Amino acid sequence: MTDASKTELVVEDVHKYLGGLHILQGASFTAERGSIVSLLGASGSGKTTLLRCIAGLEQPEVGRIRIGGKVMLDCDQRLTIAPERRNIGLVFQSYALWPHRSVMENVAYGLKLRGVDKITAAKRVQETLEKIGLGHLADRYPDQLSGGQQQRVAICRALVYQPRVLLMDEPLSNLDAKLREEARYWIRKLVLDLEICGVLVTHDQSEALAASDNILLLRNGAIVQQGAPQDIYARPASFYAADFLGANNVASGRIERTVHGASIRGPNWALDGVLVGDTGEGEGKAVIRVEKIGVHGAPAEGRIAMHLDACLYLGDRWEYRLSYGDLQAKAFGPKALPSGPVWADIPRDGVWLFPAAA
Amino acid sequence: MQQNLKTLGLAALLALGTASPTLAGTAEQIAAATAEGAVSIYTATDIAQGQALIDAFKAKYPGITINYNDVGTNGAYNRVISEAAAGQVGGDIIWTSAMDLTVKLAADGYLATYASTEKPSLPAWADYKNMVYATSVEPIGILYNKNALKADQVPKTRADLIAFVANPAMAGKVASFDPEKSGVGFMIDVNDLQQTTTFWDLAKAFRAGGGKTYSASGAMKETVMSGENVLAFNIIGSYALAWAKDNDSLGVAFGTDYTAALSRVAAIIKGAPHPEAAKLFLDFMLSKEGQTALASVGLPSLRTDVDSGYNLTTIGAVVGGNLKPIALDDTLLEYMEPAKRVKFLKMWADSK
Amino acid sequence: MSAQETHSGAASGGRIAISSGRRSSPPRPMPRPGEALAFRRTVIGLLALAVLAPIGLILYQSFLDGPFFIAKSRPGFSAYLYVLTDPMFYEALTNTVIMAVGMVAIAVPLGAALAFLLTRTDVKFRGLLEVVVLVPMFISAIVLAFGYTVSIGPSGFVSMLARSVFGFVPWNLYTLGGIVLVTGLSHVPHVYLYVSAAMRNLPSDLEEAARSTGAPLWRVGLDVTAPMVLPALVFVAVLNLMIGFEMFGVPLVLGDPSGITVLTTYIYKLTTLFGVPTYQLMAVVVVLLVLLTLPLVWFQRRLLRNSRRYAALGGKGGRTTAMRLGTRGQVIALSAIGLWLFFSVALPIGGIVLRAFVDAWGQGVNPFAHLTLKHFANLLEVPRLYHGILNTVIIAVVGGAVAVGIYLLVGLAGHRSKDHASTLLDYIVLLPRAMPNLVTGLAFFWLFLFVPFLVPFRPTLVSLFTAYLIMGLAYGLRLLQGTLIQVSPELEEAARTTGATVTRAWRDVVIPIIRPGLVGAWALIMIVFLRDYATGVYLMSAGTEVIGSLIVSLLQSGAMDIIAALAFVSILLTGAGLGLALRLGAKLHD
Repeated sequence: MTDASKTELVVEDVHKYLGGLHILQGASFTAERGSIVSLLGASGSGKTTLLRCIAGLEQPEVGRIRIGGKVMLDCDQRLTIAPERRNIGLVFQSYALWPHRSVMENVAYGLKLRGVDKITAAKRVQETLEKIGLGHLADRYPDQLSGGQQQRVAICRALVYQPRVLLMDEPLSNLDAKLREEARYWIRKLVLDLEICGVLVTHDQSEALAASDNILLLRNGAIVQQGAPQDIYARPASFYAADFLGANNVASGRIERTVHGASIRGPNWALDGVLVGDTGEGEGKAVIRVEKIGVHGAPAEGRIAMHLDACLYLGDRWEYRLSYGDLQAKAFGPKALPSGPVWADIPRDGVWLFPAAA
Repeated sequence: MQQNLKTLGLAALLALGTASPTLAGTAEQIAAATAEGAVSIYTATDIAQGQALIDAFKAKYPGITINYNDVGTNGAYNRVISEAAAGQVGGDIIWTSAMDLTVKLAADGYLATYASTEKPSLPAWADYKNMVYATSVEPIGILYNKNALKADQVPKTRADLIAFVANPAMAGKVASFDPEKSGVGFMIDVNDLQQTTTFWDLAKAFRAGGGKTYSASGAMKETVMSGENVLAFNIIGSYALAWAKDNDSLGVAFGTDYTAALSRVAAIIKGAPHPEAAKLFLDFMLSKEGQTALASVGLPSLRTDVDSGYNLTTIGAVVGGNLKPIALDDTLLEYMEPAKRVKFLKMWADSK
Repeated sequence: MSAQETHSGAASGGRIAISSGRRSSPPRPMPRPGEALAFRRTVIGLLALAVLAPIGLILYQSFLDGPFFIAKSRPGFSAYLYVLTDPMFYEALTNTVIMAVGMVAIAVPLGAALAFLLTRTDVKFRGLLEVVVLVPMFISAIVLAFGYTVSIGPSGFVSMLARSVFGFVPWNLYTLGGIVLVTGLSHVPHVYLYVSAAMRNLPSDLEEAARSTGAPLWRVGLDVTAPMVLPALVFVAVLNLMIGFEMFGVPLVLGDPSGITVLTTYIYKLTTLFGVPTYQLMAVVVVLLVLLTLPLVWFQRRLLRNSRRYAALGGKGGRTTAMRLGTRGQVIALSAIGLWLFFSVALPIGGIVLRAFVDAWGQGVNPFAHLTLKHFANLLEVPRLYHGILNTVIIAVVGGAVAVGIYLLVGLAGHRSKDHASTLLDYIVLLPRAMPNLVTGLAFFWLFLFVPFLVPFRPTLVSLFTAYLIMGLAYGLRLLQGTLIQVSPELEEAARTTGATVTRAWRDVVIPIIRPGLVGAWALIMIVFLRDYATGVYLMSAGTEVIGSLIVSLLQSGAMDIIAALAFVSILLTGAGLGLALRLGAKLHD
């Protein structure tokens, strides 16, 4: 799937130190035109630092960064290019709209700096604003706009001069839930339409899954896994990756190899599963996506007898609270069930086993 | 730089030495001075008192501007020596009441020699080696509060004054200069020490009686006027007489047995940027016209032919006949010696 | 690093990209391009020169046995030997310490109490009081001191009133106690300003909790509020201690009659002690004064760092509700504030106003029978005096604006800089504060006399302005830095990533955003320049007189009528400056 001719951003082995802390421990990835890469991680994972390194706002001590084929950073050569010469667009979490400039002036600034004459600039700004439905707000000032409008202006400002790479630092986190779902759709559409290379920093897995073509999962300054959203969701490479994404049931127990594969066992329960990685037996954890568990009122082949403790109504579905020996689990279903014995379907490949050593 | 200065100074000296006698007071001198166009004065005399002299000079020589820098006695001294060192002499005339400092400047070679055309009309004591000239004779006297003291309660003689300051009723109500803070006060004190035998008696009585010391005569006037102090001695009489004229509650008295007088002295600074204008101004200060202008604002003239205000004769009569002006001579240098000075101040401090 | 790891793509799936080599210690940091380093270093370098030149000159002078410009002066420690064995020096040192500590002991509790009342309680007339209580800070110390002699000096207007009631004057202004009281009360605003900033951000719940257990208001203030702002209190105490060491105007005027000297007036006295100015001795005292102050500067910086951390912990956005004083509380609080304002504003200003319009006063004199305008006529007639007023206005208004421009450049030079030069900046800014303004002026007089390319500027206002610029540096820069730091870094970074260079980002984003702050800073610098009196004492010449220094030089000859008139004009100008500052929206509070 990698097409070298479309590669726009190359990050190689970037390390960043802050005081005695090693806050980026060798990040590497590439990103292409017409796609979005998400840097996903909890706070403190180094995702924003990595983004700022790409923008040139932070200086890594080790590593190389190329944008559009040009070297922006090469620590071995002690070469680094100032942010203003990297031809990037950056959207800040706070939007960072200049309060003393109107929407038009905010968006046109990048064009002005690039020597575009006033009339052409005004036309292009107006076009871009129209495209995202803000054409009528050109003369307003940032404080006269709603949060969603501000966010769109910020993206416009970063896009209007057609940068090589559009960097977005949690662009949706200041929006309310409904707007957020809309925004992640149109941001994705915009990036794909304009054929630019997008890098999105987020702590929100659903945002990363929905908006990006490729996800980098960061933890403590290192990339723990990267891949397409479906891939990273369906095949986590580590307990951390498995647990970070999705809604999960986690069980601790003893993992043993079996004829079919492996199983995990507690004092009064046992589950068959698949081992992730090539590690062996021992104490470990199992991760089961909530949606993998099917709950039924009657027994059948392969179903496990469990006890339904409670049933919670969530609107579009029901949440079941199950117990199996001392194992507690959650599952979803379309209808209410009476408390008491139930039978659960847990497919073997839905139970990921991570021995503690892994 | 030092070498440069010396040559510069020397050149100026030569210029003065050769040019002065021929040009003095003549049309040529006036033309030369006017061509220079300005004269710069470093002074410690308030503009209020200097203004009349400036106006009179301007009226006579309209082509010459006067830059009047009131920088205080130490300021004037500081400027002369530091500008000479920098080779950036900016002042032409120094005019100050610090006679001792100015004589020291002359002795240290910072001043130009010039025999004023007016010298014949001046008393013999009124110049120092044709460099420093006295421009006034200002008796040193007593300022008192008329609401607090009747005229007959005011001391008339040195012995009266000593008795007065020793009087417990007057404790803490007598003021004088602080010789540690006031250069002029110091000069007056050492002059007393040199001229009389009773200086330390007065000092001890004053200090023992809780007398208050000030660094400026104006501050003393304010306290006497308000009644905070009933009397201040060693006040420069020219100020005192002017203040008393304006203010009903102030009175002035002088010692009938002995009254010293200080002079505001003027000199041309070596290397002056406007040497001809400087000479013209110095001559004018000492001339009848200039002295008349000064006398009109209360600085008694040291000439005898001035009619307005006081002249040497009339002021002598005012103080009761025993006027002893401080002469411009090497005696003034005696207490410029740091060791001697410190010794005097130590005795002063210990006389409490 | 393998090729497999460098490319991404969905295909690489479960591969984990980890660094090729972990390092234990951080490698050399990379240079930061496009940070306008050349500009930053030039500005800071020039500033360092302007600050270090006068200080270096003074230091050099202190190791000579005569004026530095006299060829026969020889290097040595004789000046140190003299000063350090002079009993008068120790007397002055003792007095200085007593004055500074006494001032702090009065100003800090009162300032803190004032801040508590105005920020934590519902005291009435708060809007008005917030401005009025700052007034003593803006009056020139020399004017203030003069005002006190006229009102409560031994024969002051108020003292005369007291005498007519009690038969004697129950106080004596011209004592160390008098000086401490005057300086202490007049520095209450300095304390109030800092402490109120700290108190304003405190959430109310702790105080409310204490009140609900039945603690009276004063207990709440003492037991709850004060401990929470302790870092600010310690900081401001140290700051005032430093101010106390440098104080010149008040001890000059009030200490003169009774012969009380502090270090700054000891310096002044040294010029006459030997008949000729003994610069080496003055320099030694200044060096000792700087040595005394520097540890405080250092201590203060440490405190500041810690108190910032503390403030951050305090949490912003905490809800603050004013505690109710009740009627009795209102009366007590307002009377206390009123009494203090009467003493530190009404008395001195009233004294000056009265003195400026009468030509006689004191015992047995009815001042109203001696009303006159002639002192003001003097101001208009005598060129030196009206030049002084005009120059003061020029230096304050024009010079203030230029100074703000220069402080802005300096502020930008250190703005978000990780360069070593900006650390240097932090220290050089503080150095002039440790030097008395009188001596700063003298050092600049010499520089403009002996540095060839500066010579033409000496008789112009440029020389005076330069000295003022350095004199006001610490305050002005702090003002500007405070304004600059309020611009969110993301606004600047947004400009950078959009394509603007650092300097362009400053011009297009930072400066337009802080423009209101700049205007406010201008007004405040204007007042700082208006109220100064010591810097110009040695530096001014014919045509470059300023009011404050004219007053000092007139004090020598004692033309009190003119001093009063000048002081009156100075108060009017300060009032106008303050009014302008408020109108322009200057933030008087931090």
